[in-house]
Amino acid sequence: MSASTSLLPPVALTPARARRRAWRNPVAWVPYALVLLGAVIMLVPFYFMFVFATHTNTEILSVPPPLWFGDAFLDNVRALVAERPHFWRSLGLSLWIAGAATVLNLFFCSLGGYGFSMYEFPGKNALFGGLMATMLLPAFVGMIPFVLLMKELDWLNTTRALIVPGACSAFGVFLMRQYIGSAVPRELVEAARMDGCGEFGIYWRVVVPLIGPAMGTLGLVTFIGAYNNFVGALLVMSDVDMFTAPLVLRSLQGTGQTPWGAISAGSAITVLPLLVLFVLYSRRLIEGLTAGAVKG
Amino acid sequence: MSTPFPPIRRTPTTRRRSALKPWHYMPYVFVAPFFILFLSFGLFPLLFSAYASFFRWELSSGLAGMKWEGWGNYAFVLQLDALPWKQFFTGAFWSELHGLDFWRALYNTFWLGFASGLPQHLIAIPLAYFIHMKFRRARNPAIAMYFLPYITNTVAITLVFSSLFSRDFGVINQVLTGLAHFDVAGVRPLAWLFPDQNIDWGRPEYTRPIVAFIIWWRFVGWNTVLYLSALQTIPKDLYEAATIDGAGLWQQFRYITLPMLRPMILFAVTLTIIGNLQLFEEPFILTGGSGGVGQVAETVAMQMYKVGLTDGDFGTASAVAWLMFMVIAALTWLNNRYLGKKD
Amino acid sequence: MGFISKAGSAGLLVSAVFGAQAQTTVLTVASFKDLDRSVLAAIPLYKKARPDVEIKLVSLGYGDHHNAMTTALATGANLPDVMGIEIGFVAKMAEGGGVEDLSKAPYDANALRPKFFKFASAQATSRGGIFAAVPADIGPGALFYRKDLMDKAGITEAQLTQSWDSYIEAGKTLKAKTGAYLIPNAGTIKDILLRSGLKDGEGIYFDDKGKVLVDSPRFVRAFETAKKARAAGIDAKVGAWSNEWSEGFKRGTVASEMMGAWLAGHLKNWIAPETAGQWRSATLPGGLSASWGGSFYAIPKAAKNKAAAWDFIKFMTTNKEVQIAAFRELDAFPALVEATNDPFVDQPMPFLGGQVARKQWKATAAAIPATAVDRLDPVAAEVIAAEFDKVLEQDKPVAAALADAKKAIERRVRR
Repeated sequence: MSASTSLLPPVALTPARARRRAWRNPVAWVPYALVLLGAVIMLVPFYFMFVFATHTNTEILSVPPPLWFGDAFLDNVRALVAERPHFWRSLGLSLWIAGAATVLNLFFCSLGGYGFSMYEFPGKNALFGGLMATMLLPAFVGMIPFVLLMKELDWLNTTRALIVPGACSAFGVFLMRQYIGSAVPRELVEAARMDGCGEFGIYWRVVVPLIGPAMGTLGLVTFIGAYNNFVGALLVMSDVDMFTAPLVLRSLQGTGQTPWGAISAGSAITVLPLLVLFVLYSRRLIEGLTAGAVKG
Repeated sequence: MSTPFPPIRRTPTTRRRSALKPWHYMPYVFVAPFFILFLSFGLFPLLFSAYASFFRWELSSGLAGMKWEGWGNYAFVLQLDALPWKQFFTGAFWSELHGLDFWRALYNTFWLGFASGLPQHLIAIPLAYFIHMKFRRARNPAIAMYFLPYITNTVAITLVFSSLFSRDFGVINQVLTGLAHFDVAGVRPLAWLFPDQNIDWGRPEYTRPIVAFIIWWRFVGWNTVLYLSALQTIPKDLYEAATIDGAGLWQQFRYITLPMLRPMILFAVTLTIIGNLQLFEEPFILTGGSGGVGQVAETVAMQMYKVGLTDGDFGTASAVAWLMFMVIAALTWLNNRYLGKKD
Repeated sequence: MGFISKAGSAGLLVSAVFGAQAQTTVLTVASFKDLDRSVLAAIPLYKKARPDVEIKLVSLGYGDHHNAMTTALATGANLPDVMGIEIGFVAKMAEGGGVEDLSKAPYDANALRPKFFKFASAQATSRGGIFAAVPADIGPGALFYRKDLMDKAGITEAQLTQSWDSYIEAGKTLKAKTGAYLIPNAGTIKDILLRSGLKDGEGIYFDDKGKVLVDSPRFVRAFETAKKARAAGIDAKVGAWSNEWSEGFKRGTVASEMMGAWLAGHLKNWIAPETAGQWRSATLPGGLSASWGGSFYAIPKAAKNKAAAWDFIKFMTTNKEVQIAAFRELDAFPALVEATNDPFVDQPMPFLGGQVARKQWKATAAAIPATAVDRLDPVAAEVIAAEFDKVLEQDKPVAAALADAKKAIERRVRR
C-alpha cells in the first residue's frame, strides 16, 4: 500500500489545517448534507413511532397524521397494561433472555473466534466450513423439529429454551474470527506465550482487552436479536406468563380496531433498553479508538 | 504470515518430551462450545428437515400424517419439465419463467437482494469512512441515527410505513407533491423532478422498489457500524504518514482504507448474501403476505412459508429450504473466492 | 418429639382441609385478538356456574395464534384444551384430524346442530362428516349505505338491491351526482358473486371429488361483473382496513360497503362515529346471502381436560345468556339461533337511523346456504385473488385469468 505522490506543496497538511481548509470550500459541505439527509431518512419512521405512542387511536389514524408529540402517552400505557397485564413481566423476561444470551455469546464466540484465527490445527478449515454451513439453511424449516426437541427435553415454557440453543452463534464466531485476525498481532500472542501465559490466559489477558469494538458490536447485535425475536417465543411458550415482549405486542393485533396507540406506546417502551444499550455501546467504540491509537 | 505457535525446536529436551503441547489441543477446547451446542440443538432440526423433505406432510395432522414421497417434492418445486427450454434464446424465456412459482420467487429474491444489498455496502463504506474521519463530537449521534432502523422491530414499523406511504394521506406523497408545486414567483423549478399527482405506492411496479428501500433502510446502518468497528483497527499512523506525504482524503481511502477493510467487506457481504437470500419478514409484512400483485415481491422464504403453512405441504417447504441451502452455499463460496484474501 | 408429632398432625389436618378444595381444574383456552374478548366476557359467568374450574386464557395475534396452533398440532406440544379458530383455518383443522370429532361420543354434537344457523355448523364439518368445531359467532352479510348520499343522488334502496346491474347503474348515478364512490373495492363484488347460486353441500372452489371449479360460469360472471364495476369507475380502489378505506367512510367519499354485520359496530366505534344516523343496512344485491368471518371452538385430540373443555365450549356456544352478552357488548352476532330470539334483536339501532337491522341480519343468517368447505379453500382463494388483481390492474382477459388460476390451483393442491 503506497500513498501516491502528489503535486501538493511541501507544506505539511496537518489534520487541523486540512479541516480548516475544508470548511471554506462549499463543495465540502455536500457530503455532510448528504449524511444529514440520510440520517433524517433513517430517523423519520422511528420518530413517528414515538409520536404515535403519545396519541390516541383516532389521532393516529387521522389525516394528516400527527407530526408532534401529544399527551396521550400515559393513557396508552394504561390501556396497554389493562389489556395485557403481563406486559411488564414480559419486558423483564425479554431483558433476562437477551442479557443471558448476550453474555454467553460474548464468551463462547470470542473464544471460538480466537481459536479459529490464532491457531493452526488439523481439521480447522473443515470445522470452520461446517460452522459457516450452519448459517446457510433457512431457519423456518427447523421450527417444527426444534419444538419436538424442546418437548423431549421438557424445556417448553422455559427461558432456557430460548437462551441455551443460541448461546454460541455461528455469526458471532465468524465475526470474532475475522476481527481478532485483524486486530490482534500474532507477535503479541507469541510474546505472551513465551512469558508463560497459559493458552486461556492469553485469551483472557491479551486478546479480550483488544477486541472492545467487536465485543461491543457482537453484544449489541446479539442482544437486539434475542430481544426482538418472537418466532422462538411463539413456538416454545404457551403460558401467557412466559410470553416475551414482542409476542405481547403482536398479540394486540387483530382485524378492525387495533389499539395502535397502545401498540406504539408498548413498542416505544420496549425499544428503550436497546437505545440505552446503544448509547453505552457507541461510547465503547470511542474507547476502542483510543486503545487502537496506543497499539502498534 | 508467521504462525502463532513456535516451531518445534529440535532440542534434546523436546525430542524426549511428548509432542502434545497446550497449543495443540486448546484450540479444540476453544471451538468446542459452538459444536457441542450445534450437535445438541442444531443437528436434529437440520436432519429432520432433510428427512421431511421426502414426505408429504400436512402439519395439523401431527407426525402420523407424514406420507412418503421420495424426490417428488423436489421435482414439484423445480418443475424441470415445465421450464421453457425451447424459448431459451428468445426474450420469452424470462417471462415464462415468471409463471413458475419457485423460479419466480428466486428471481424476486435475487432482485431484492441486489437492489437492497448493493446500496447497503456502496453507501455504508464511504459513510463509515466519512464518519470515522470527519466526525469528532457528532460521531455518536451520527451513528446512532443510522443504526436506529436496525433496532426497531417490524411490527411497530409497519404501521408507520403504511401511514407514510399512504396514497392520499401519506407524508411522503405530501412532501413530494409539495416540492413539485413549490413555486418561486409563479415558476415551479422542481416540477420536472417531483411528481405532480399523488403516487399510488400500492401499484405493483412500486412494490419491489419499496420493499428494497425498506430493507436498505433497515440494514445500511448495521453495515456502517460493522465497517466503523473495522476502521478502528487501522493504525492511525498510517493515515498520518499519508497526510504528511500529501495524500488527500480520497487517495487515503483508496489505498489505505479499502485494502485493509477487505476482510470486513468479505464478511459483511457474506452476511448480506446469506441474509438477503433468506429474506422473509420485510416483504411478508409489507405486502400483507401476498407478495404484491403478480407476486412480484414474493421471496423464496415467503413461498416456503406459504407452501408449508397455507398449502399444508411442509415436506415441499423443507425441499425448498434445502434447495436454497445449495444456492446460498454456492454464492457464499463464489463470494469467498472473489473477495477473499488467500490467508 | 411431642411437639413434632403435634405439628405433624396439625400439618396433616391442614393439608386434608386444603386437599379437599384442591380439585380445581385449570382449563387452557387459546384464542386470538378480538375473539378473546368474548371469552373474557364469558369467564365471570362461567365462574358462577362452575366455581371449581379456573380458566387460563392465552391470547395471541390473529396470524401468530393460528401458526402456533398449527405447530402445536404438528408436534403435539403446547396444546390448549380449548382452541379458538377463525373461519379461514377451520376447514384445515377439520380435515387434518388433529382435533376431536365432536359428532362422536361422548360429545354427540350432531344433536346440537339444529341449535345453530345451518351454514355455521356446515363450515366446521369436513366432507367426511367430521364435526370439528362448534360455531361461536357469525358474520351475516349486509350492504351498508349512506342514506343521505343516496337521497342526494335520488337513489332508492330498491335500486341498490334489486340486481347487480342496477347496483352498478346506481353507482354511476351516484358518481355523477355527488362525486362519491359506491364501494371501496370491486373485489368485494367478485367475492360475493362467487358465493351466489350455491346450494347446500356445494363447495365454492372444489366439488366433492376435489375437482377445481374455477372455470365454471359462476366464476366468469363474478369476474365480469366486478370488472364492469371497475370500468364504470364506481370503486375507490382502496384495500379494506387501509387508511384510505376508513377515511373514505369518514369523509363520505365512499357511500357503501358490503361486509359482515359487525361492520356497523366498527363504523360506530372508530371509523366514522360522526356519521351516526346516516347509515342504513340492506340485504345484498340480487337477493344473495353470504357471510364474512366466523369463529369456532375445537378440542385438540391430545388435550388434557377434554371433558371440562367440552363443558366450557357448550357454555360459550349454546348458553343463550353468554351469546347475548357477546352480542350486546362486542357486536358478535350469535351462531346460536335461540339467542337471536331475544328482544335485543328487535331494538332500533341509533347508528343506523333507528333501523331494526338485527332482524334483517337474522333473516340473512337463516338464508345462507350450507356450503361445503375444503381445507384448501384458502389456497384457491389466494390464487383467485391474485388472478383477479391481474384482470383489474393489467387488463388480463377473464378467460385467460381463470384458466391460469385453474392450472395454478391444481398444481398447488397436488391432487
